[in-house]
This record gives sequence, structure tokens and C-alpha cells, in this order.
Amino acid sequence: MTALAEAPAVEAVELEKVYPGDIHAVRGISFAIAPGEAFGLLGPNGAGKSTTIGMLNTTVRPTSGRASLGGRDVATDPIGTRARSSVVFQDTVVDQPLTGRQNLALHLRLWGKDDAAGRARTADLCGLVGLDEVLDRPVATYSGGQRRRLEIVRALSSDPEVLFLDEPTVGLDTRVRHDLFDALATLRERTGVTILMTTHYLDEAERLCDRIAILAGGRIVACDSPAALLGVLGDEVLELRVDQPERAEATLVGAGVASGDLLVIGTTVTVLPRAHRADALVAALRERGLVLRAVTTRRPTFDDVYLRLTGGRIDAD
Amino acid sequence: MTATATIPVTVTTDAPSSRARSVPPALVLAKRRLALTVRSPRSIVVPLLTPVLFALVIAPALANTVALPAGRTAYMTFVALATVGLLIPLNCTFSGLGVIVDRQQGAMRELLVAPIRRSSIVVGNLLAALALTALQLVVLIAASALRGAVYQSGLRMLWFLAAAVAFAVIMYGLAEIMSVRLPSPVEYISAVPAVAIVPFFFAGSLFPITSLPHWLGAVAKVLPLTHALALFRYGIAGNSGVRALHNIWGLHSATLMAVLSLLVLLAYAAVVFAGAIRLFTKAGTS
Repeated sequence: MTALAEAPAVEAVELEKVYPGDIHAVRGISFAIAPGEAFGLLGPNGAGKSTTIGMLNTTVRPTSGRASLGGRDVATDPIGTRARSSVVFQDTVVDQPLTGRQNLALHLRLWGKDDAAGRARTADLCGLVGLDEVLDRPVATYSGGQRRRLEIVRALSSDPEVLFLDEPTVGLDTRVRHDLFDALATLRERTGVTILMTTHYLDEAERLCDRIAILAGGRIVACDSPAALLGVLGDEVLELRVDQPERAEATLVGAGVASGDLLVIGTTVTVLPRAHRADALVAALRERGLVLRAVTTRRPTFDDVYLRLTGGRIDAD
Repeated sequence: MTATATIPVTVTTDAPSSRARSVPPALVLAKRRLALTVRSPRSIVVPLLTPVLFALVIAPALANTVALPAGRTAYMTFVALATVGLLIPLNCTFSGLGVIVDRQQGAMRELLVAPIRRSSIVVGNLLAALALTALQLVVLIAASALRGAVYQSGLRMLWFLAAAVAFAVIMYGLAEIMSVRLPSPVEYISAVPAVAIVPFFFAGSLFPITSLPHWLGAVAKVLPLTHALALFRYGIAGNSGVRALHNIWGLHSATLMAVLSLLVLLAYAAVVFAGAIRLFTKAGTS
């Protein structure tokens, strides 16, 4: 191993992208991903996730800042960094009139890995995700799940150090999403590849990623392990639907709930009770004559993390 | 998902070197484009229809109508050969549609993140367009010869080949530029007649450019198609080529005029194709 092997698999330093029209897609974000780590960029559409991946895979030119893969600068060595990475895009990018085998061969040739080892690796990957039987059929005849698995196998067939997954499950049904994540988990275990995934599905980030950066308005507003991000919320969330949310908010603050643990969206008040008992808070509201149309207590989710950090829902758009 | 195989892993130390690649990326991409084209035979047949119709039906009909009996074969050959100037632009512009399809169906995204020079993508597409054009030219020339056109063989055919390649590079370069500037298929197709067909009528296809009004004749002399047609005829149709070159240059040495016309085509090819690569590369990074 060279000295470069000690470098982060992916590093972004004050990365910024301003599109024409003064549109600030990414506002000076920094992060480093260790080799073998699975890192998630979580945020709604427009948060800057795909632009960030674009800057890392050289399809978007950063306005300022720098990024590197395995210590190689993406701006000065774009071909070298592309050789170390592969991308699974949100949409299907394989050639659908061609067979799966032809698509895989094309990727290997373009990545300069069309040797015996590359072909053996590809065959093993196909076996692992159950694509053997369909490889000689045109991709147009594949099911949605088979197509996504082919895209993942194709991306991994060139043995990348970094695999970018850019919203890989958008538009897929639940069965296919589970199928895909099963394949990803298996392949990650086998190859040890570093993964950078963007998603706005909270459960996906939690399921696959060792660490998650939450993006809002082009900035990273939090970055930690899923457990740590969830941990700051406590054990329980109280969700209320009320006719007079402002009065309910004032009452809850009066009862000792910190204002930072309250969020009002429309007629829904979300409360992190922490040291307070949820039933006591509900009783306090009823004592003030507030009409509670719905009362729910549940475990905190990433949506709550996102709400607390950004004041908006992750799937709002 | 119960297999326990270990995936062979190698440590990437650098960008793929030319030694690591068994085939240059441009050739890999040309092969891909041809594989896609073969699965869509219409894209091969449609550009061929109009020129073949011209060569087999319109050229003999025109010859019968406007030429004296002694000159009918020569005129039919004159017009039939001109259809090469229709075939190459039509085929190249149809090939350019493939770039738009790649963008719209997503394949271009994968190509843009491949560890290859982005110019390789354009060159690969060009090689595929050249291969298809060569195939179609053979069909067109053979069909028109069977219908009665008379072509000459010999070393001068090299002028024909050089002009055909240079002209195809120009037209494919224009197609790539159009695919960037006109990214929707509807816009693209609506521009095809202006680029691929209109010049055909002013470049000495059906009559010498000396028959055009003076100002239009001057315009014709700067059209690459005029130089290409003159060289096609010089290469395989004998005296009509010398006359066509003379109509452009007004010199006495046929070889010198052919060299000058080829240089014009090569200059156009270099400028247009360099522009196409530059535009494509720029469009590949936002």
C-alpha cells in the first residue's frame, strides 16, 4: 500500500457550488469518509446532495473548495479519481437494448478492468445477487429489481474504492427497495467498498450508513452515527393535533418543556418530553381547555431529527 | 444470497493505463454505438432511402428529361454520385440523434463518469458513424451502378475516399454540436433539413455551380459539400470532377485544385470537430 492508502477514501473541504442565477446549491461543506465506511447524505430535494456527488464524480465543477478521492484531487486528476469510483444513479443508465452481459463488459472495458480478474469478479457478483439466469437477455426485459441489481453489479465490477449511490431507490416499490438493500449489504460485506449514498429516505440511511450527514439548504447541519443522531432526542416523541397550536405551545413551555424541544407545523405540535411525562403534558393542555384532536406517542425517527435541525420535514418536497 | 464466495479485489493505484486496456476507449464506444444501431435497423435504412431513391429513380429520370441521348449516362452518373452528398449528411445527423437518446435515457451519465477522456465519447460516436456511412456508401454506389451509372476505378478513388471521410467528419461534428445546442429530439429533427438537405441544392449536385446566380455561386464555393462533390466526381467520375473543381478554383492543374479542395475539407473538419469536442466536454460538466 502506498501513502495514499492512508488518506480518507473521500474528502470534501469547504466545497461550494453556485449555479448561474446565484443559486447556492452547496454552501461550503466539509467531511471525510474513512476507507470502508458507508456514509449517507440525507436531505430533501434541493438540499445539495446530488450536486455534492456530482462534484465528487467530476460531472459538476465546484465553485470553490476542494475534494479528493483516495488523496487524489478531483479537479487536477479527474480521470484518476473516476477510475477509483463508480456511480449508481437515481435513474437507469444501462443500455436497455443490450444484454446484461454486454452492459457489464462495456463497463469493464471503459474502466480498464476487462481482464481475467475483472471477469471473475463480475461473475461472482452476478452470482451473489442472482443475476446469472438473465444476463443474456436484453435489459429492457428485466424487472425493476433486476435492473437495479445489474446497475449495482456493474458499478462494483470495476472494483471501485468508492461507490456513489445517488438516490438509488427513488421510484422503486418497497419490495424492490428491500431487494436492493439486501444486495448492497451483501456486496458491501464482500468487497469492503467505501459507500457514499444520498437519499431522502430516512430508513435507508439508518439501515446502510455508519454515519449520516444531514443537509439542509446546501449546508451540513449535523453529522454523526444514526444512533447518536437519534439519541439526542430521548426515548419518546409526543405528537399532538390541536385547534390552537400557538396556545398549546405556550402552555407546554409554561409546563417546563424547552422551546427547542417543540415544533409546530400547521395544527401539529411535536414535543420531545424528555424528563416530563407525556401524559402529564397532555393533562396540562386539557386543563387549559385546549381541544386535542389526536394524541400520539412513539419512538423518535430520523424525521424528528431532521425536523428539529431544520424546521422542515425531510420529504416535504 | 447465501453464497460465500470472496470477490477478487485489486488495489487501484492509478488511472487505467493504455497498457491495461485491451481496446482504446473510442473503439469500445464505437462498438457500443454499432451494437445499439444494429438493434434499431430503421436508423440504418431510413438515411439510405432518399439517396437510393434519388440514385435509382430521380437520376435516370432527370437524365432522360434534360440530357441529350449521348450524355444521358454521364448525367445520370453526375446526379447519382451527388446523392453521396445527401447520404453522408443524413446519416451523420441521424447518428447525432443517438447522443440525444444517450442523454435522455441516462446512458450518457455513466459515460461521463468513466475514467476516459470525454473526447473519446465523441470520437467513438464518429467512428461508428463512419463505419455505417461506409456501409451505406457501398450500397448506394453499387445500386446506382446496377441502374446504369458508370464509375471509374483506380488510384484516383483515394480522392473520393479522402473527401468522403473528411466530409463525414464535418457533418458528424455538426451533428454533435446540434445535439448539445438542440437537446430535444423535436428541435434536433426540425433542424436536420437545413443542415443536411438545403446545401445539396446549391453545391453543384444537379447542375454545375456556374449555373447559379453569381452571388449564390460565391456562397456555393465556401460550402464544404461543393468541394466534397467535386472531389467525389474527380475521384470516380473522371472529367465531370475536373470541371467541378475548375468551376470552384478556375485553375488549370486538376491535381492542384483537388489538393486545395481537400485542404478546405480538412480545415472544415478540424475546426468543426474540435468545436464539437470542446462543446461536448464543456456540456459534460455543469
